[in-house]
Amino acid sequence: MSYREKENIINIFSGLLITGLYSWIVYQRHVQGLFDLTEDFSKWGVILLIFIGVSIVARIIIYIIFHILNYIATREEDVPPADERDKLIRLKAMRNGYVVFSGGFVLSVLALAIGMPVYGIFIAFVGFGLLAEIIENSSQIYYYRKGV
Amino acid sequence: MGKNTIKNNIRTLRFLAGEMTQQALADKVGVSRQTIVAIEKEKYSPSLELAFKIARVFDKPLEEVFAFKPEDDTHKTKH
Repeated sequence: MSYREKENIINIFSGLLITGLYSWIVYQRHVQGLFDLTEDFSKWGVILLIFIGVSIVARIIIYIIFHILNYIATREEDVPPADERDKLIRLKAMRNGYVVFSGGFVLSVLALAIGMPVYGIFIAFVGFGLLAEIIENSSQIYYYRKGV
Repeated sequence: MGKNTIKNNIRTLRFLAGEMTQQALADKVGVSRQTIVAIEKEKYSPSLELAFKIARVFDKPLEEVFAFKPEDDTHKTKH
């Protein structure tokens, strides 16, 4: 398995782990009554902003751990620079991710129009964001294996 | 993802160049070894620039390294 494929698998699992853990913590606080996410929409803004920050920091830490473990396993110290094939694969995978997120956005707005509670759209954004990331990384693995 | 229509003789040319390794070729043209593997297996069509660079390594004109074989031609040869 190439470095890029391993990197994509790590991205999928770190996305699932970070989003899952953070969602669980936020949900527990909501259940405990620390804030009401069904009414207080400004709190959603704060939660999503913190999520972006937490996600970036957690990913940096996970990436460093991955790099160390990969070095121990393969003795390859340097991260291979992205060449034209890597860039093309990244672009195509990103397109797939955007299609999924855009589709999710439209579905969320449609659901809102037919009566879904407003807080549902924030949950849908996080959910479709995660799904788009999984699709993007899975697409990269697919293109690396099957060709582009 | 089907095989693409750009065929190549890179494996043969590497052999004729004293069994040049994929890594050596990759280093000469500035891409990863995986990209050379993908080109040889015809899973990736290189850019024109990369194709010229590869041909230059073997000191061959482009058409001796790469060939365009549309799928229509393949069907025609089968009949």
